[in-house]
Amino acid sequence: MILKSIQLENFRQFRGIQHFPLDVAPDKVVTLLFGANGAGKTTLLNAFTWCLYGELSHDVEEQDRLVTDFVWQSAAFDTEIPLSVEVAFSHAGSTYRARRAAKVRKQDGARRKSVADLQLWVTDQGQSKVVEGPQQKLDSILPQRLSRFFFFNGERIDKLVNRQAYAEVKQDIKTLLGLEQVERALDHLPKLDRKLGGELKKFGGAQAVEIQEEIEKQETLLTNARAQRESLRDSLGMLTEEHEGVLDLLRKHEAAGPLQAQRDEAVEQVEKARSARDHREKERRNLVATRGYLAFAGSLSQETARLAAGLHERGSLPAPLKREFVDSLIDEARCICGTELGAGTAALRHVEDWRAKAGLAEVEASWQRLSGEVKYVEETRSNLRSRLQALAAELEQDRETIGTWEGRLADLEGRIRDIPMEEVAGLEKKRVDLQARIGVTNQDIGALEKTIEELDVTVAGLRHSLKSAAVGDAVAQKARRRLEVVGAVDAALREILAIRSTEMREKLDTKVKEIFASITVKPFYPKLTDDFELGLYQVHGDGEELPVPKSTGENQILSLSFVAAVSELARGVAQRQEETPETDAGNYPIVMDAAFGSLDIGYQREVARALAKMAPQMVVLVSKSQGEGEVYEQLRPYTNHLGVIVAHTTSAAERSETIDLGGYTYPYIDTESSVDWAELTEVQL
Amino acid sequence: MTSMSDLIGGGSVVSHDAQTGRTEKDVVNALDPEAQALLKRVLEIERSRLHLKGSDAGAVDDLYEAVRGIIP
Repeated sequence: MILKSIQLENFRQFRGIQHFPLDVAPDKVVTLLFGANGAGKTTLLNAFTWCLYGELSHDVEEQDRLVTDFVWQSAAFDTEIPLSVEVAFSHAGSTYRARRAAKVRKQDGARRKSVADLQLWVTDQGQSKVVEGPQQKLDSILPQRLSRFFFFNGERIDKLVNRQAYAEVKQDIKTLLGLEQVERALDHLPKLDRKLGGELKKFGGAQAVEIQEEIEKQETLLTNARAQRESLRDSLGMLTEEHEGVLDLLRKHEAAGPLQAQRDEAVEQVEKARSARDHREKERRNLVATRGYLAFAGSLSQETARLAAGLHERGSLPAPLKREFVDSLIDEARCICGTELGAGTAALRHVEDWRAKAGLAEVEASWQRLSGEVKYVEETRSNLRSRLQALAAELEQDRETIGTWEGRLADLEGRIRDIPMEEVAGLEKKRVDLQARIGVTNQDIGALEKTIEELDVTVAGLRHSLKSAAVGDAVAQKARRRLEVVGAVDAALREILAIRSTEMREKLDTKVKEIFASITVKPFYPKLTDDFELGLYQVHGDGEELPVPKSTGENQILSLSFVAAVSELARGVAQRQEETPETDAGNYPIVMDAAFGSLDIGYQREVARALAKMAPQMVVLVSKSQGEGEVYEQLRPYTNHLGVIVAHTTSAAERSETIDLGGYTYPYIDTESSVDWAELTEVQL
Repeated sequence: MTSMSDLIGGGSVVSHDAQTGRTEKDVVNALDPEAQALLKRVLEIERSRLHLKGSDAGAVDDLYEAVRGIIP
């Protein structure tokens, strides 16, 4: 989906019919629109989602006041006021025009919710035609719940990466990356299995019926356990977010704040020490598993060295050809091949030549090799002992460190609890409760994982038994074969989903890291966990990786990086799915209000520099204070359309303002107006 | 014609399951021809119905017909 234009008619403060071009050109993918606070930037953002999905974002006040106030007030009673938003866009090689419109009848002074109809036209090779089921079509191009990745308010974008959103975000990403059909199939196949099982039960023999019934019973348990696990994972995300929220409140509290800061430090130190302890215990386990046998070797290596030295002296070390062996041949006057070794014969001379050669070099080489090996064993054994001793000391130190910090933690908890303030007591009680619930939820998830694993094995065993069970007739055999095939497909899809999810997560993780690093020079890096939770981390001097608290600015950059990464991956996936890389399938615009809302100046410049490369189309809505100067200079080379949403206002509190763009001055706030309205104006680049 | 890999979402065929160590291609190749044919049909059906909400019964009916078509 690449936006071509938007047209508004009496929509909120956009009075009359107003049109703005949005199309892109090669390397010029940005549309930059300036507007004062309250001028209509958020309304314009909402105009897109209202047109495409019929909804306004929750932060839009008085949602029933869709018609421009002035137009409504000046309309006569019983007249119909036209209201519409029209968005033109291209998608997968076709051009579309979506129009949501209503005729709002003014019957009395009261505003009522307007029922607006959606129409959609598609133009293919110059032929325009109406699309039946327009909402379904739009949903197939860009599902509504995914639109939050592409039409958003920059100031609230960090909501995308908070824990409460993970469950939804995870699902949305799967949809966007083409995994939803696999999940749906996995939802439908057990139902198909049940349907086919009915046929087997009807025509199969007693044994097959019994097994099939047991399979169905176990599969019901399996489905329930999986659903329960998902639900618990969602709850865990919410509990963790809530826990974090309570900690934030304690941090901001005047009395509890300093103690909470100390507690944060103590928690970090405990985690660090526990992690170091876990690493050392792992190293110790590995050492014992791979070299532990050396501990039992005792003086074996010295004894071996002593024996070998004796053998060396006697020339008896094993070697390919021993001198003693050649001597015995000469003594017996018969070669190994049976030839007589008579005195003065050529055969005897030949064997005597071998006697001179035998043993010397080989014995020496064997001696060297054996000595080296004995030395290596001795050294390794000694190193093992030293390392194990060092590890034991380090682990003791870890235990002491953990104990010290845990003690401090307990002390701090007591001190926070003792603060004689109801608010603090309430927060602390809630924190303890949430922590306990998080622990229990984690345990429950672990138990369910085990149950699922066991049920999987049981079902697989039953399916195997069903294969060899006696069945009634050809009809039952066919039903059984169908069940076998469905079971095989189900298992394969489960494995494929796991492979694909991992692959997508890894790609997304790499992409987010890449984009984040291109915006900020801070030594932090984002990481997407197996559960699609996005966090910010830093490696400390000792190589330890620890999460870092996110500031608002960093959260915004993190979210932007995430959106851009999702957008890029979706593009790649869709192009492969459609097998038409030349089309814009999987291309989605990013329409951003308040893109630089809570960023400091340094970040604003870096984000502006990165924005132009984030998506195939960017519509950036900014205020003069956010967008003038560095931001404008950074985005200008990539901008195809530049505009101002001029605020015409009757407010006495406002003062008229202009905006300088590209050496020209344009109206920005006009206080000379007799009515309040917004005007979309395109300006020369 | 759309390939199996494309139907699922266009990933590479070299990624593997951390537990089994198998690649996606390994998984598909391990299926017998009837199961491979059904896997492809299942994904085609689900993909064509993605935009339909609350259509479980319809999807299961389509899948049922697909199985009967492959194992008549």
